[in-house]
Amino acid sequence: MGQTHWGWLVAIYLFLGGMGAGSLLTAAVVELTGERYKHAFCPTTLIGAGVSGPLVIIGSLLLIFDLGAGKMEPWRIIYMFTHFTSVMTWGIWLLTLFIPVSLLYGLMEIMDNYPGILAWLRRFLKFLPATLPYRSIRRVLAGVGAVLAVGVAIYTGILLSVVRAVPLWHTPLLPLLFLVSAGSTGMGLTIDLGATIAVPDVARRFHALPIIHIVLIGLEAVLIGLVLAVAWLQGGVAAESARLVLMGPNAVIFWAFVVFPGLFYPFVVHAYAIGARRHGFISGILSGAGIVIAGLFLRYLIVFSGIPVAL
Amino acid sequence: MTLDQALAEARGKYALIIDLNKCTGCRACELACHQRNELPGDMSYIRVYPKQKPDGSPYFLPVQCQHCVKAPCESVCPTGATYHHESGAVLVNDKTCVGCRYCMVACPYDARRYDEEKGIAEKCWLCLDWVLGGGVPACVQACAPGARIFGRLDDPDSEVSQLIASGRAKPLHPEFGTEPGILFYIFPGE
Repeated sequence: MGQTHWGWLVAIYLFLGGMGAGSLLTAAVVELTGERYKHAFCPTTLIGAGVSGPLVIIGSLLLIFDLGAGKMEPWRIIYMFTHFTSVMTWGIWLLTLFIPVSLLYGLMEIMDNYPGILAWLRRFLKFLPATLPYRSIRRVLAGVGAVLAVGVAIYTGILLSVVRAVPLWHTPLLPLLFLVSAGSTGMGLTIDLGATIAVPDVARRFHALPIIHIVLIGLEAVLIGLVLAVAWLQGGVAAESARLVLMGPNAVIFWAFVVFPGLFYPFVVHAYAIGARRHGFISGILSGAGIVIAGLFLRYLIVFSGIPVAL
Repeated sequence: MTLDQALAEARGKYALIIDLNKCTGCRACELACHQRNELPGDMSYIRVYPKQKPDGSPYFLPVQCQHCVKAPCESVCPTGATYHHESGAVLVNDKTCVGCRYCMVACPYDARRYDEEKGIAEKCWLCLDWVLGGGVPACVQACAPGARIFGRLDDPDSEVSQLIASGRAKPLHPEFGTEPGILFYIFPGE
């Protein structure tokens, strides 16, 4: 039905790249608003910064694993940095810049929160003066990381949206959808799942976060609706793609793994959290897990439901 | 004529026109391409699609790389392995291709083939070694009904130039916007 050249690995990579970028963005928002410094322990920046690098690294490894000759002869990967008409080349550059920044930022967060950890690394870094402006360095890393994160998240959408041969993908709405979804999955993983487990009994402290999150969830629902509506109204294979998602073989995945757990349920949980200034332990975890699963299956649906133009 | 002169003369732009009124769908071109390029399994750079005219009668549409002027495979290629040769042919450098298959996704003619063994996305290369030596591509040689007309595009008096200039030979799916540069078709009834 859909295109057969790209499969699961690409879908998972787009998901991990987006979620890694979104996790860093979540941490950066809490860092740059100064909210982090109002509490003795801030799980959001710790988890968000901590997981962002590893997630994007795993995604990038999947991308390399999906290559043919580039996997057999890894030195060929160097050529992928050279051809700037290709969105994939931009992506490789963005990933290459994002990974060290996010790793450094994550490392600083971990070392700041757990003084006892990484003793060998601390001994190794002894030469650094104790008076370094660590807070400023962290803020710069968060700021630069956030800019790169937006780039990574948008690029995962542009990668598909430049492909005219697959009308479902060929819309500027797709990069927007992937950006919004990256933000939402990042917050779902970092706050709903991570922070809830890390600090179970605390009322959600930063009241702007559930508001930001519910706006992202709402936007994501609107953008998914728009992408499918635009495809539907185009007719031809684009409409076939939309039918595949809405009522065809992929409809079960769409409604049961994307719409309900990733949009409907989290929307209810966050609406309640905004009103009550807290949400339940279980509902937070379920909302986070649902958003993460939906983020993966949304990309699976887009990749696998893209039907190429007919000859 | 020296070899250098012959080679210099062979350099130029080419066109391959497929007359769908003559194509019998025998798939000899598919097989000739498969054999000439020593492709694995039943892989061929050409695919012959059975089609129907508006009146319901059958015809056949052989599709291979159209060697587009605005080739999407070339612009999405992250390594620059896909490039334009001076003859107008779009070629793949098998030394720099990483096998990401972005070109396969991007080609609206589905003209790319993935060689699992080599991990490279390949396609029709117009049998350029034969062509630059003064010959014709394998598919043109193999076409029994003579549905494939090969010639020089940079010679205004050649048959292919005449057919294209007269408007009888047209690009396949010009709405894709890729501007096929070498493959043209004479559609049924034209």
